[in-house]
Amino acid sequence: HRLRASGADWRPLCGGTHAALFLKVGEPAKNKQTNLEPHTRPYELQSKYFLSYHSSVADLTTVCVCVCVCVCGTRAKTHTLFLCPVHFPVGMFTPTGTCDIPRCSHFPTSFSLPRSLFSWKPKEPKPAAPSAPGWKLFGKIPLRDNPPKDSRTIQQEFEAKAGPVTGPHLQSQPVRRKNLEFEPLSTTALILENRPAHLPAKSEEEAQRHKQEYDEMVAGAKRRELKEAQKKKQQLKERYRQEESIATAMVIWNNEVLPNWESMRNTRRVKDLWWQGLPPSVRGKVWSLAIGNELNITPELYEIFLSRAKEKWRSFSETSSENETEASLADRESSLDLIKLDISRTFPSLYIFQKGGPYHDLLHSVLGAYTCYRPDVGYVQGMSFIAAVLILNLEEADAFIAFANLLNKPCQMAFFRVDHELMLKYFAAFEVFFDENLPRLFQHFQSNTLTPDLYLIDWIFTLYSKSLPLDVACRVWDVFCRDGEEALFRTGLGILRLYQDVLLQMDFIHIAQFLSRLPDNIPAHTLFNCIASTHMISSNRRWNQVFSALMKDGIKETDRNSSPALRS
Amino acid sequence: PKITYNFLFKFLVIGSAGTGKSCLLHQFIENKFKQDSNHTIGVEFGSRVVNVGGKTVKLQIWDTAGQERFRSVTRSYYRGAAGALLVYDITSRETYNALTNWLTDARTLASPNIVIILCGNKKDLDADREVTFLEASRFAQENELMFLETSALTGENVEEAFLKCARTILNKIESGELDPERMGSGIQYGDASLRQLRQPRGSAAQTKQQCNC
Repeated sequence: HRLRASGADWRPLCGGTHAALFLKVGEPAKNKQTNLEPHTRPYELQSKYFLSYHSSVADLTTVCVCVCVCVCGTRAKTHTLFLCPVHFPVGMFTPTGTCDIPRCSHFPTSFSLPRSLFSWKPKEPKPAAPSAPGWKLFGKIPLRDNPPKDSRTIQQEFEAKAGPVTGPHLQSQPVRRKNLEFEPLSTTALILENRPAHLPAKSEEEAQRHKQEYDEMVAGAKRRELKEAQKKKQQLKERYRQEESIATAMVIWNNEVLPNWESMRNTRRVKDLWWQGLPPSVRGKVWSLAIGNELNITPELYEIFLSRAKEKWRSFSETSSENETEASLADRESSLDLIKLDISRTFPSLYIFQKGGPYHDLLHSVLGAYTCYRPDVGYVQGMSFIAAVLILNLEEADAFIAFANLLNKPCQMAFFRVDHELMLKYFAAFEVFFDENLPRLFQHFQSNTLTPDLYLIDWIFTLYSKSLPLDVACRVWDVFCRDGEEALFRTGLGILRLYQDVLLQMDFIHIAQFLSRLPDNIPAHTLFNCIASTHMISSNRRWNQVFSALMKDGIKETDRNSSPALRS
Repeated sequence: PKITYNFLFKFLVIGSAGTGKSCLLHQFIENKFKQDSNHTIGVEFGSRVVNVGGKTVKLQIWDTAGQERFRSVTRSYYRGAAGALLVYDITSRETYNALTNWLTDARTLASPNIVIILCGNKKDLDADREVTFLEASRFAQENELMFLETSALTGENVEEAFLKCARTILNKIESGELDPERMGSGIQYGDASLRQLRQPRGSAAQTKQQCNC
């Protein structure tokens, strides 16, 4: 658990295993009970910053310790929160010792829940939380107890929830219903009325026809409503299925795979399980193991480089005013100002790496230590995203070890050293598979002179963490850890496949704009299907073979084949 | 419905990291300040159709990464640019000092007739100013650049910068100083005539007649 209190505006409330929550100090929750005393006034967790992130941090074992700070700032109290695997922290708590997590469907909590004070998600029903004693406050929850209890709870709640959707729901929110459903219907029903007196009256036949039309309209509305309800039910079912599969997968990873890593990592079964996405609680562990530590970096070594970095910062800040113009731009850039600047621009919407956020210093440390560890590489834009994703999933020293080893991989080295020749080879190899998998789109891109560097550079430098939603990006990382660099280019082709139809309709600038800003709502499921149906085989050669064949080709070959945009 | 235009200009936005290049572009295209801004890696794109002196011009804008290290990559994007916004941050002398390097790159790698406007961005942070207006305008004069101080935050002079650059290019075309037909001029005739940049030169005369000038 990490609790970092820093900054004036934001105070970290929760340091779960890999999660941090904030409370905006002094900002009371937007609830209806406005007359509470300052010390009992409930606060809101700033869950909006995490909603997009939930599935990659929270899981069944996420237990958070929250420090609640009162409006006046004089009193703080610690609370424990259990977080839902799917809805992460749609929760709030009060300084009086009660925590409420409005409807994280199946979360057994060991404390009593007060009447729901908040209406984060007013539509969601809130059945009484089943009490489940035996939950540990700190550390992992014993796995044996968990899944059976959970699935039962899920089942119960599913039934409780799925039932009301079709009918009884009406009673709970009559006003709302009226607005949404009856008003249009009552307007429709005007058709049944007689005409005003000054107009000729309806004939019997006409009235009959109107009645029939009306009935059809009502029937249509009912059908739509039913369909809607079924869809909701289906979604709910799907969600519970997912939750359950996360829980099951977690048990398998913890009990079977991790203890026998070397012998099991390459088995078919593990690889399949891996493809489904790593459960967030084992994600960091698996990434670490998969990335390895070829460089033999120890936590002590990290400390050494970190203190060296701190020394450098100190000496720089003391002399900066006089030496400003003398210091070479590149040198300065690689170490200090740019790191600082970029940290504030890394996942800005999460508000955890920015100044005052709990991971701000951490990100700074990891990047700073790296520039001391590898002064020949230094800091290169894009690194902050990689380090940030690792920090979200690993402890500080482990994050650094994974970071340094990850960047040491040939593909990452080529890119972060901005080795043009080598980058061109990667793009050329990518184009081979692009042509193989999506020949029509490839032709379209070629005729628009849209070269892969225009979009791949961003994707590869940040390992998709800038361009894809964070939870989707984490799954891409999962696959990258499983399959290596090939997975990065395969993901790129998956994205192109996903949007093939729209891209085929676009011209150069629109494609370029589209790919440099992908839609926010990329459906993970569909994307991974597209990645799965992308085959990394071209004329019987795999990625590695294609790539090394390109490497063997002389420099002349490169000149002829290079992407036009990169010829200079 | 497709918006037709008479010309398409390729524009670059260049300058050191953190000077607000992407924010300028965002302000120009969306008319608002980009709050949660990321740093650009490689290149990003924007486009907008503007009206300049009675002509419809589509600006195709290449917003490049600012870090020195990326220069070998971004250099390759200069080719065939008709105009450029060269951006520095008025609160950072360092970004101002780097201008000469950026300028050399632009003049040598883009079309020789590239029209460049110097933008002293973050005008709203006048209290932290490290570069005076006078100094920068002298630099602009010496290097034959247009010059404006801009604020991506308030939007001040942002549109003006892009439009001024476009207007100058248009004037140069009209005076014959710039030849859109020349390879790598960064100028295309508009899609009113359905003509693409990379098509052979032959159909030019025909195109001119078709566009609704």
